[in-house]
Amino acid sequence: MATVPNRRATDEDGMIFMRRVLTLLALLLWAGGAPAQNATAPDTAAGGARATTLEDILARQKNRLKGTTQRLPDALREIEGRPVPLPDGDAGVPQLGTLGGASDPDLWRALKSGAQATPSSSTARGQLMQVLGEDWRLVRRQYLLRYGGYVLLGMAAIIVLFRLIRGKIAIRGGRSGRTIPRFSLSHRIAHWFLASVFILMGLSGLIILFGRPLLVEFLGRDLLVGRMGMDPSVIDTLKSVNSVLLSASLQGHNLFGPVFVLAWAIMVVRFMKGNFFQWADAKWILKGGGLLGGHASSHHYNFGEKTWYWMVVLIGLGMCATGLFLLFPMLSQTLVYHQAATLLHAIGAVLLIAVAMGHAYVGSIGMEGSIDSMLRGEVDENWAKEHHDLWYEEVTGKKADHANDPGGAEAQAEGAA
Amino acid sequence: MTVLQFLEGPMFYAAFAIFAVGAIWRVAGIVRLGRKPDLAPPKGSAAAGWFKGNLRHFVPRGLFAERTWMHLLGGYAFHLGLFVLLVFAAPHIAFFERFTGLSWTALPRWGFILAAEFAFAGLIVLWVRRFSDPVMRQISDRDDHAGSWLTFLVMLTGCLALEEAHDALRALHMGLVNLWLIYFPFSRLMHAFTFALARGATGAVYGRKGMNP
Repeated sequence: MATVPNRRATDEDGMIFMRRVLTLLALLLWAGGAPAQNATAPDTAAGGARATTLEDILARQKNRLKGTTQRLPDALREIEGRPVPLPDGDAGVPQLGTLGGASDPDLWRALKSGAQATPSSSTARGQLMQVLGEDWRLVRRQYLLRYGGYVLLGMAAIIVLFRLIRGKIAIRGGRSGRTIPRFSLSHRIAHWFLASVFILMGLSGLIILFGRPLLVEFLGRDLLVGRMGMDPSVIDTLKSVNSVLLSASLQGHNLFGPVFVLAWAIMVVRFMKGNFFQWADAKWILKGGGLLGGHASSHHYNFGEKTWYWMVVLIGLGMCATGLFLLFPMLSQTLVYHQAATLLHAIGAVLLIAVAMGHAYVGSIGMEGSIDSMLRGEVDENWAKEHHDLWYEEVTGKKADHANDPGGAEAQAEGAA
Repeated sequence: MTVLQFLEGPMFYAAFAIFAVGAIWRVAGIVRLGRKPDLAPPKGSAAAGWFKGNLRHFVPRGLFAERTWMHLLGGYAFHLGLFVLLVFAAPHIAFFERFTGLSWTALPRWGFILAAEFAFAGLIVLWVRRFSDPVMRQISDRDDHAGSWLTFLVMLTGCLALEEAHDALRALHMGLVNLWLIYFPFSRLMHAFTFALARGATGAVYGRKGMNP
C-alpha cells in the first residue's frame, strides 16, 4: 500500500517534466514562427494568397486545441487526478503538444489500442512505441531500483552484523599442518574464471542500473545541492561523469556477456558432481549449519554451497538467456519481451550479487582456512573435519574426530558407548 | 592542447620511442651475447634446427598436452585475439594510418567483438592459472602480474571506449597504451620478441647435434 503514494509522486514528477517539455516545445514553435512568415512574404507580394501571420497560426492552434482536455488518454487523467494544467488566461485549452497540440492524445490512444509505430531508430522490428513502456519505466524506478538497493545494502549490513556478532570463524583446535586435496586445478580455474567475469559484469551492471539514481539524484541533487548547498552546476558535472561511466559500462557489459556464458557453462559442468542434495543436507539445515549449536555434518559440499551452486545454475541460466536476448534484439518481434527481459535480468543479477557477497565473505575473510581450497586446492585436515566431516571420512578412510567441537567430546563418548 | 591531444601526440611519440629503442636494445644485446664455439663435428644443420625449434614449440608434445590443455587454449585464444585486435580493429587502423599513411581492410564489428571475447577469456584463464597453479604461483613475480594487468587494462579500456562517444574514455585508453609501451622493454612482455630467439637457440643446438628440438 505504501507504494501508491510513491507512484503518484513519481507520476506527478513526470507530469511536471512533461509540462516543461511541452512549454519548451511551445516556445520553440513560437520561435520558429517568424522565419516561416518571412519565407511566405514574397508570395504575397506577387499577388498570391494572404501571408500566414503569427496570429493566424496561434488562432488556428487555439481552435484545434479546444476540447483536447476531453481527448486526453485515460492513463494521463488517472495519473493526474485533477484537471490538466492550462496556460494562464486560456481556460479550457491545454499547452501545446509535440505535434502542434491535438495529436498527442490521439497518438497515445491509438498506441494503447495496439497500433504500431516505429521510429527511424528502431531497435526492435515492428513495434517500438507502446504504452507499456511507461509501466516498465515505473516498475524499474519504483520497485527494481528501490528494492534492489535494499537487497544489496541489506546483505552488506547482514555481513557486517554477522562479523561483529560471530567474528571470524576459526578452525577449532587450530591448523593441524596436514592438508588434503579438495579442488583440482581445473576446478579452481573454472571457479576464478567465472568469478573474474562475474565481478566485471556485476560492477558494470550495477553502474548501468544504479549509476544515474545514485550519482545524479542522490549524490548530486539530494546531497551536494540539497543538503550541502553546492552550486547546481555540479549536477551537470555528475551527469557528464555518469554519461562516461554508463557508456563504458554498457560496452563492457555487452562485451563480457558472452565470456560470462562460457565461464558459467564451464563452471556448471565442472562443479555438478557432488552438488546434488543428500539426506545429510536435511540434518545440516536442522542444525542451522552449525550456527544453532552442535556439529552439522556434510559431504563434499554442504547445503549452503549446494544451494548457491543451483542458484548459479538456474538464475545464471536465466541471466544468460535474457542477456543474450538483450544483446541480440533482432531475436524478438515485440518490445514487451525486451522490457520483461531487462527486468528479469536485473532481478536475477541483484539476487546473484547479493548471495555472491555472502559467498565471497565466508569463502575468504569470514572463515579461517576456506580460501585455501580455491587458492591452493587443498585444505587443512582440521578444517575438513569441522566443516565437511563426511567428505573427510570418504577421502581419507579415517574417522573424523569431533573432540574439538563444543560438546563434541561428550557426543563422541556417547557414540563410543 | 587537450589531454587527449597530448596523449595521442607528444606522449605517444615519447612512449613509442622508449618502446622501440628499448626493445631493439634488448634484442641486440641478446644477439650480441653469442655463444662459445662448439668444437664437436656437426651431425646436422643448426639453421634447420633453429627453424624447427621455433615451429615445433607451437604444439605441445604428447602427454604434455593433456596436462596443459587449458594453458594451451588460453594462450592461443589470448595471443591470437590480441593480434587480431591490434592489427585489424578499425580504430587501430585509423590510428596507424594517421602516422604512416598505410591502411588496410578492417574487421567488421562482429569480428572485432569475437576476437575481443577470445582475447579476454584467454587472458583471464592465463592469469587465474598463474595464481592457482602451485608451480606457476612460485615462479611468478610482480613483473608477471604487472604485465598481465597492464595488458588487461589496455584491452579493457579500449573496449570500453568502443562507442567513441567520450574523449575521456579514449584518453584513458591512450594513457594506458603509453604506459604499456614504456613498461614493455623493461619487462617480460619482451617475450613477444625474445620467444623466437629462445626457441631458435635451443633448436639450433639440438639441430647441430642431429636431434629433434
